[in-house]
Amino acid sequence: MITPAQLEALFDLRDADDSDYVIRAVDVRKIYRTGEVETHALRGATLDIHRGEYLSIMGPSGSGKTTFFNAIGGLSKPTTGKVYIDQVDIAQLDPYELAWLRCRKVGYIFQAFNLIQVMSCLENVTLPMAFAGMSGEDARDKGMEILSLVGLAERALHKPAEMSGGQQQRVAIARALANSPSIILADEPTANLDLHTGEEIIDLFDRLKAELGVTIVTATHDLKMLKKSDRIVWIEDGLIARVSTPDALDIRVEEIH
Amino acid sequence: MEKIGRQVRLPLATAMQISLQGIRIRLGRALVTLSGVVLGIAFLMSVITGEFINAAVKQEREVRNQTTLMSTFVTSEVGAVAGKTLSVAVFGALSAPEQALLAGLAAEHATLRAYGYSGTGVTAVPAGRLGEGSALLLVLGDNPAPGIALGGLMAGMVQPVALDARLRTYPDTPPGRLEHFGIQSAEMLAKAREAERQQGFRTRWIVIISLLVTVIGIANALLMSVTERFKEIGTMKCLGALSGFIRRLFLIESAVIGFVGSFVGLLVGLAFPLLAYGVTFGFPAVFSALDGKRLALSALLCLTAGTALSILAAIYPANFAARMVPASALRSNV
Repeated sequence: MITPAQLEALFDLRDADDSDYVIRAVDVRKIYRTGEVETHALRGATLDIHRGEYLSIMGPSGSGKTTFFNAIGGLSKPTTGKVYIDQVDIAQLDPYELAWLRCRKVGYIFQAFNLIQVMSCLENVTLPMAFAGMSGEDARDKGMEILSLVGLAERALHKPAEMSGGQQQRVAIARALANSPSIILADEPTANLDLHTGEEIIDLFDRLKAELGVTIVTATHDLKMLKKSDRIVWIEDGLIARVSTPDALDIRVEEIH
Repeated sequence: MEKIGRQVRLPLATAMQISLQGIRIRLGRALVTLSGVVLGIAFLMSVITGEFINAAVKQEREVRNQTTLMSTFVTSEVGAVAGKTLSVAVFGALSAPEQALLAGLAAEHATLRAYGYSGTGVTAVPAGRLGEGSALLLVLGDNPAPGIALGGLMAGMVQPVALDARLRTYPDTPPGRLEHFGIQSAEMLAKAREAERQQGFRTRWIVIISLLVTVIGIANALLMSVTERFKEIGTMKCLGALSGFIRRLFLIESAVIGFVGSFVGLLVGLAFPLLAYGVTFGFPAVFSALDGKRLALSALLCLTAGTALSILAAIYPANFAARMVPASALRSNV
């Protein structure tokens, strides 16, 4: 297992920044135009996300949850309003800077894992490093260290298809960590997993948050995941309906039962 | 706060490596695309090779036919040529059938007296003594108006008969009989040339169409491949890939497939006509007709054309892939 000293060297554990907020969304609106029809997916969402926070986003389908998730992750630009990632307004960035931001600031984790099937686990993990300009021995060593962090060092040369869902998602998490991002963005990371492996992933997120101080933002409906979050954001009808804590959630769940 | 940097362009080698890996893993799909290129280029190469061989074989036949025609003329005038004295006047350069005719007559033991020509089995004589004791005068060469009187050349002949291989003009009226032999009329030549031109035009047109079909086939296969890899492309973009990098992946993939396909195609396109003409005309004749330099040039043409067309076909699919938004990686239903 990896030592704390190695961890520190790996991720350059950062001191508290001058800003407490790693993501700030200010009055974000997003309008999709299909011919003559305008769809207002987001109608003025404002949210600040603390550094090192574990935040879950919930909302029924069509609520604008995915749009909001994409906007704060730098995957799409809002129509109006501002999104700051590490205090940088992403609307101001050109494609090269956006790619740089996606490569180094944000780690993405997907519901369907999205591993590149033609590459081995290690190659999947070192791919973002290659995009960041790191290659060869350095990338391989760092990749192996991160894989051992998620407990898959011995499967490094296997192809994703040869692994279980939980293992694949752990490789995907290792890949998201490749360039030591400050934010991990996870879209329903446990939805394709059974209960047990889902818990493994949740525990891993917990450890990442505690040991690396990474900010984790997930879109999820997984109760176990929601319970571990620091805050839960409810999106309804293109607006942030409420922000609550898991304790409040427990009460609601009991009400339902 | 860390300053926002600009994503660097990756070296071509990295794109090449990822591209080749993709081809190796999705070998089945790559082979389907490849077979399209192979067919297109094989057709192009077989047309080119076939034309070479055909032209060479046809020319050789033409020479043989002409030679036979001329020697038939000669025998019909004098009978068997063995031991007969024949005079030959050559103006200008000899054509291939004319050379073959002289060689043939010498081989049949005719005594050849020649003016303006020397060779094995041929006695060179001055113009004034050419006709002495000869049974027939053959006027050969490509000079249409030599400016020499036939009367002088034919003086002293046993029979004053001249056979001219061209429609030549002379300053005097021939003292005996003057016939033309082995001549194709200008009209017939023009007709043959026109037919050949038409045939070439038709062949070129079919080749162009087949290459177009190949290009469309490659583009279609690549578009499918892009659609299949929607999620993969989106994921790569999420991980920090630039649009240009994605574009390059597909262009490289297509270029590699195009190059390998062209290479296989040109081998097939070379082997097939060789076999077909070899069976018809005999392998030695076909192999002697091959010209190394022209062959190398056509091989180069096929490789270049195949690779270039594959890259051309990949432009639209590659741009399509490059334009894909990173958020498409989140869609789990593709």
